[in-house]
Amino acid sequence: MELLATLRKRELLEKVLPFVDGIIVGKFFTSSYHCTLKEIVEINVICKASQKKIYLVLDDFISEDDIDALYRYLEFIKKLEPDGIYFHDFGIVAAAKRYGLSDKLIYDGKTVACNSLDTAFLLSKGIDSVVLSRELTLEEIFRIAKNNPRQIDLQIFGHQRLSYSKRRFLTNYFKEINKEYGYLGNEDLYLVEEQRDYKLPIIENEEGTFIYSDYVFEMINELPELMPYLKRGIVDSLFIEDQTIIDVCRDLRRLSSENKRFIRDNLYHNHPDVYASGFLYQRTNISKDE
Amino acid sequence: MSKIELLAPAKDLQKAKIAIMYGADAVYVGGKSFSLRSRASNFTIDDLRELCSFKKDYGARLYVTVNIVFHDDDYEGIREYLKILDDMGVDGIIISSLALLRVAKQVAPGLECHISTQLSSLNSLAVETLKEYGADRVVLAREASMDQIRRIAQRTSVPLEVFIHGGMCSNYSGRCVLSNRMTLRDANRGGCAHSCRWKYHLFAGDEIISNPNCLLSMSSKDLRASAYVEDMIRCGIASLKIEGRMKSEYYIGQVVKTYRQMIDEIYFKGHLTEDRLAYYDEELSKAENRPSDDGFLSGDCDNTKHLYGVNGAGVTHDYVAYVHRYDEARSLCMIEVKNIFKRGDRIEVFGPQVDNEQFVIDQMFDQSWNAVDLANKPTQLLFLRIPFKVHQGDMFRRVSL
Repeated sequence: MELLATLRKRELLEKVLPFVDGIIVGKFFTSSYHCTLKEIVEINVICKASQKKIYLVLDDFISEDDIDALYRYLEFIKKLEPDGIYFHDFGIVAAAKRYGLSDKLIYDGKTVACNSLDTAFLLSKGIDSVVLSRELTLEEIFRIAKNNPRQIDLQIFGHQRLSYSKRRFLTNYFKEINKEYGYLGNEDLYLVEEQRDYKLPIIENEEGTFIYSDYVFEMINELPELMPYLKRGIVDSLFIEDQTIIDVCRDLRRLSSENKRFIRDNLYHNHPDVYASGFLYQRTNISKDE
Repeated sequence: MSKIELLAPAKDLQKAKIAIMYGADAVYVGGKSFSLRSRASNFTIDDLRELCSFKKDYGARLYVTVNIVFHDDDYEGIREYLKILDDMGVDGIIISSLALLRVAKQVAPGLECHISTQLSSLNSLAVETLKEYGADRVVLAREASMDQIRRIAQRTSVPLEVFIHGGMCSNYSGRCVLSNRMTLRDANRGGCAHSCRWKYHLFAGDEIISNPNCLLSMSSKDLRASAYVEDMIRCGIASLKIEGRMKSEYYIGQVVKTYRQMIDEIYFKGHLTEDRLAYYDEELSKAENRPSDDGFLSGDCDNTKHLYGVNGAGVTHDYVAYVHRYDEARSLCMIEVKNIFKRGDRIEVFGPQVDNEQFVIDQMFDQSWNAVDLANKPTQLLFLRIPFKVHQGDMFRRVSL
């Protein structure tokens, strides 16, 4: 399994690079650091010089207005010779074909890649790999991964994205209550529902608004047995301190069945936070009548 | 060019029949399995068979939603189910699983495969990719503007379906699992708890920055695209879709009839005047229980398109009775009580062949011919005289004075 980290900010690159196999960045990357093209070129040079992989992200939904911009961006990407491109808009499949990038595509639907058949279907269409949805149980992940061995990517650490809207919830809300606040790209804003105490990170940028899990997802105990079936494991750095990400990447790189308890204890001790196993042991198929 | 399709939702057999009788060209319904909206009554195989027979008499089409985001266990029985749908004469399925494209083409080749809005298709390239994968129709995401819809339609040959009325997810459809986190109900497998409509405090670090009198909500107003129907016809959209598989027969009847008349008038006259549009908007508002607007069709959604003070849907009590029979010789009508009303109330009757005709209730009788002053027992059958002809399937609504 390749170990990848998303780049929350440019300064994290050199610190984390020694401990990962590759980096995920993107101009359009809505769930992480929003790089300029110049920065992407620079990061690409550094990754290649360090013999590390670089993956780009195009995880926006592309409107019809943005097709020309998409073509220009893919033309730019092609020159970088990236190792992969994460996407979830199927328009990118057609656009990538035009630039000979089809074999670089990795589908990351966030919430809609939940089964073996759909995964196999996408792989049969030339998609390189599929990132499984975050709301799957461990049993389901194992099953899909065993059915499609080493063609599966998985987020293995970080806040899990719960929703993506084109609506600008923060802009609209502040307008509604006549308040000015520096919220664009602000990683320090949280929603807490009236009746529940979950503290959900919310972030808005030009592409819309994103809400993340209140907890930091980790699967240190489960990962050693799963790793042989995965193509890539992703550490998402969004909302998380640099040192935590660096330590997590370093420790995951040497993770084994023998040291997993030690590594997990270290994480909980050295970087206290709200950690959880997400949906790994929590099925979410309760119907409305239950 | 073939006439644009008016596509209506239905929660059960009765509502599907009403949708067709009131003018829908096609209805979409969910089966007992594989369908979102788990709380909708949903159709048994026998119901679907009966509906297939019913829709043939009207020349209507029937699409079945098979649109959950499948987990591995959910596929059990799907091949047999699709084959049964195909054999009984269902016209198409609405799906979000791309693997089902392949499965359906193998076991149920007579079924059209429509790609659900769950895949949030927003551009012509996505539509073309889905066509290449085997899609026969693509439902566009509700985040597209009218201008974008027009250009997508120009650039693809795939039949497109567009939402014109009803509730909207505030997030991209399928890209939200808030409900999973908040309630363990899977938003993408029919259990959505509408957590986006709840109220939230907003924190910056540990400091509350939201207004306690107006908490943050992601709730969006409902969609009403009446002003865009003419544009959609002109740009070659294949189907106009009404949302609301959980809605009442009154809602279905009123909304379907209004859009039916609007579409027919546009085709007949070539254009809808402002006055006529205002009339149709007024008709649509009779069925509404949440505020509505044109969503993303006119561009971005600002704060005026959100609901900050409303948690859920209100319920209209204007719909008071459903007509079961009418004896023209005696001007006697048998109705089923839906909501409370009384002698002396002014009633407006509407139906596939009746346009808002009014009368005042003079006398009512129960089935033993006892006089009834107050109709307050839902499902009770009553008789009353009515000064004009009505039909089975017409509905009564109370007129506010």
